[in-house]
Amino acid sequence: MQSNNRSLHFKPERSRRVKTTGDMVLLTMIVRVADSLPLAASMQEDEQSGRDLQRHQSQAKQLCRKLNEQSPARCTLEAGAMAFHYVIEKGVCYLALCEAGFPKKLAFAYLEDLEGEFSEQYGTKVPSVSRPYSFIEFDTYIQKTKKSYIDSRARRNLGSVNSELHDVQRIMVANIEEVLQRGEALSALDSKASNLSSLSKKYRSDAKYLNTRSTYAKVAAGAVIFITLIVYVRFWWL
Amino acid sequence: MRTVLNHTCLLPVHLNARSPYSQPFPSLSELSSALGGLGGVSELEAETLRPVNLLQERNILPPKRAPPPEPNLSNDLRKVNCSPDTFRCTLTNIPQTQALLNKARLPLGLLLHPFRDLTQLPVITSNTIVRCRSCRTYINPFVSFLDQRRWKCNLCYRVNDVPDEFMYNPVTRSYGEPHKRPEVQNSTVEFIASSDYMLRPPQPAVYLFLLDVSHNAVESGYLNVFCQSLLDNLEKLPGDTRTHIGFVTFDSTVHFYNLQEGLSQPQMLVVSDIDDVFIPTHDSLLVNLKESKELVKDLLNALPGMFTHTRETQSALGPALQAAYKLMSPTGGRVTVFQTQLPTLGAGLLQSREDPNLRSSTKNVLHLGPATDFYKKLALDCSGQQIGVDLFLLSSQYSDLASLACVSKYSAGSVFYYPSFHHIHNTAQKQKFQKDLQRYLTRKIGFEAVMRIRCTKGLSIHTFHGNFFVRSTDLLSLANVNPDSGFAVQMSIEESLADTSLACFQAALLYTSSKGKRRIRVHTLCLPVVSQLSEVFAGADIQAISCLLANMAIDRSISSSLSDARDALVNAVVDCLTAYRANGSNIQPSGLIAPAALRLFPLYVLALLKQKALRTGTSTRLDERVFSMCELKSQPLQQIMRMVHPDLYRIDNMTEQAALHLNDSVIPQPPLLQLTAEKLTREGAFLLDCGSVMYLWVGKCCNETFIRDVLGFQNYASLPSNMTEIPELQTTYSERTRAFISWLLESRTFLPAFHVVKDDASTKTSFFQHLVEDRTESAFSYYEFLLHIQQQMSK
Repeated sequence: MQSNNRSLHFKPERSRRVKTTGDMVLLTMIVRVADSLPLAASMQEDEQSGRDLQRHQSQAKQLCRKLNEQSPARCTLEAGAMAFHYVIEKGVCYLALCEAGFPKKLAFAYLEDLEGEFSEQYGTKVPSVSRPYSFIEFDTYIQKTKKSYIDSRARRNLGSVNSELHDVQRIMVANIEEVLQRGEALSALDSKASNLSSLSKKYRSDAKYLNTRSTYAKVAAGAVIFITLIVYVRFWWL
Repeated sequence: MRTVLNHTCLLPVHLNARSPYSQPFPSLSELSSALGGLGGVSELEAETLRPVNLLQERNILPPKRAPPPEPNLSNDLRKVNCSPDTFRCTLTNIPQTQALLNKARLPLGLLLHPFRDLTQLPVITSNTIVRCRSCRTYINPFVSFLDQRRWKCNLCYRVNDVPDEFMYNPVTRSYGEPHKRPEVQNSTVEFIASSDYMLRPPQPAVYLFLLDVSHNAVESGYLNVFCQSLLDNLEKLPGDTRTHIGFVTFDSTVHFYNLQEGLSQPQMLVVSDIDDVFIPTHDSLLVNLKESKELVKDLLNALPGMFTHTRETQSALGPALQAAYKLMSPTGGRVTVFQTQLPTLGAGLLQSREDPNLRSSTKNVLHLGPATDFYKKLALDCSGQQIGVDLFLLSSQYSDLASLACVSKYSAGSVFYYPSFHHIHNTAQKQKFQKDLQRYLTRKIGFEAVMRIRCTKGLSIHTFHGNFFVRSTDLLSLANVNPDSGFAVQMSIEESLADTSLACFQAALLYTSSKGKRRIRVHTLCLPVVSQLSEVFAGADIQAISCLLANMAIDRSISSSLSDARDALVNAVVDCLTAYRANGSNIQPSGLIAPAALRLFPLYVLALLKQKALRTGTSTRLDERVFSMCELKSQPLQQIMRMVHPDLYRIDNMTEQAALHLNDSVIPQPPLLQLTAEKLTREGAFLLDCGSVMYLWVGKCCNETFIRDVLGFQNYASLPSNMTEIPELQTTYSERTRAFISWLLESRTFLPAFHVVKDDASTKTSFFQHLVEDRTESAFSYYEFLLHIQQQMSK
């Protein structure tokens, strides 16, 4: 291998980084819905997204904890400049964090693709595992698939396949903050209710206490009057 | 006041050590009654306290390498206690108060080898990892169960609930026996971590090799050795199907290699803008090893030939490291750097700072610290992105290791150094490099690791030694963790331990294995607390003390000066022996008396003073000195001790007397000899085991049977002067010798270089410099050193 004719020289004048905009899949997670145990994941960190990713990652974790059997099977959640898309199939949630500009159709095609391969490879093992990221080796497939979906040349070829996914428009769209806060609101309500019940319990016990006190007072007053009466009768009349 | 200030000391000097604060020393009768009161254990203690007059007793070396002292614990606790190979304390009897510790004048610290290769390790998978709610200690064999439902933490004494899951014992498959769970039966366990212990999905194993391909590097011929070694071990690299690999080469420019699956051959990309280095393409420089294996093999086969005619003499190491950082930062992983000269271009360039005329000066040695903070800063950036940098320096000239080593020091890497490496002219170094690579490439590795050491309330850790970055006060950040590095910590006693009889220490290492599993390895050590000075002396672990002092001395020599560090080491012995004398245990007024437990203290300190790291007066290259310092700071205890005080055996007359019989092989056990030329005879052959190197010294009149049957030569005269291995001959003599040597190497991870030294050869000096008891032009003999200590003590 001769270095001079086989190698590409990069001169400083050349344009350097091709800035990637609007077509990134930043985070992919595969989670068991029943107990939100992470099964596999893939991350794409780079200089620009590094800081934000931490926040979105924790959002993703919270979201997975919120999901249950009643959750809609397909959903898109907007989170500022990003969007979460997820698919729930056979008790497993496939979640991707994409830039908002990333076509929804493609995102769901990507998730369906993952779903097909994952359930074929590991589907039967999913209910029995207990260690987090037991199928982390699926990362390799995720990376490869992701590459094929974000590569614009390959995207054109996929276009035809994707038209099958006709009902993409009907997928529910919500805001991530709302979804996460709905839980928070609920938990706030819950804590308020339990507060209320504890307060009412306190009121009841206080009332009881007051009642008994007033009864005692009445009995005592009666006794005093009675004794006075007897004394009076005894000393006055005799 | 002045005397105290002049008195250089590694231990904190308390000006009021003899002030009214300190208690009067107990009289002899009190002491002996206290000793007698200990009953059954006093026999052992009495032996370790037996006063030894060092000036009279010459044969203080035990016949075999002495095992560490056994802590004075009940049998049950002793049985479950952590192995001393993993976890050791300088004082196996922990003094109750700081005042008592000050009186003993011994350093208190721990020596750890946390990621050591273990043959047996209980691995625990459970949904809840039981930990103390207030200090986060992991449940361990030394906690106490108040009843079935509650346990009391042995570090902070908080009472915690036993979770339901813990009631079931998976080993015996029975309920209601929380005290029989494996966590409570073993002091070294490994937990499979839940997702609470992960900030991100476990990273894959990622290896990047950064290769110097300048003229100098090509000339040394290391590239061939490296590529061949990696080709041989490609399958054995720890990892799974996610493992990634990449290569970057550099001279005056930085070269990347596109190894994308599907290419017909590797594609080289050259970045010549070293002032602002960038990554030419993002996808295919780090590739999946499994998918691109053929391309990787092609590259490794082609690399050694690619630069044979290069004329580039410059080295842009700094920019290459920056590129490596950029390439690795999305995932983290391990960067392995091979460097053969001083970096001369771009960021982090260095100048020669060594003056060869000052190599043997007895005055101060300069330039032990880094010349620039570039490498430290880069290492900290790397550490933040979970990148560990290991450095292989193969140079014949000064390369400023003091600066370069920073890149590994703060990123939890390791440093290897092969002075005057050449693939033809220096076969011993080449063989050592091959052996080291073999181990290095295949050894276990942990990624994105952190380690925390906790200790019983009242004790506090204040200084850490080793390669890592201290992220918060007590959290060590280890981008990579390898099974061959050791750590040391210094402790002080902040609050009196009077209300407890046991002190415990727990080291927890959280890491991602090369298979993408997040695990926590927990070691717990338990030691008794004592209130008498004599007991503190009785429990002193002299090997651990020497290692900790070595670490402290190296810090001192960099922060202050080498002579300061040397004085401090001598003073450590003087102070300790003075404290022992003042304690009243000294029956004979004359002589230099040490308790038996500390009888090797002066010898080990003298040996430390004669190490390359700390010696003066003997010609020592600056890089070799700095490397020796790196080793002392980052090697595990066993390795340091072999390096400081090597083992000398006579092996030409080994008999089967007292031999070990293991799996039908007979392993002779020759006694350890003192490190002095007195013990050598011209009729014998002697083996000196220094850990990373072994010498077989053959005397002029060595019996010819040994030379013929073991070394395979007719007579002494026909022995070549550069023999580097013992041939496998079919004689009992040879088999016995080889059995003994391989027994010595059994638990060793890196195989030592081997030299056969003839009495008249030029390599003789490197053998004789290890005979630390002998006098050299610039250093004391052992006896002179003892007299010097005695003189210091009487001041």
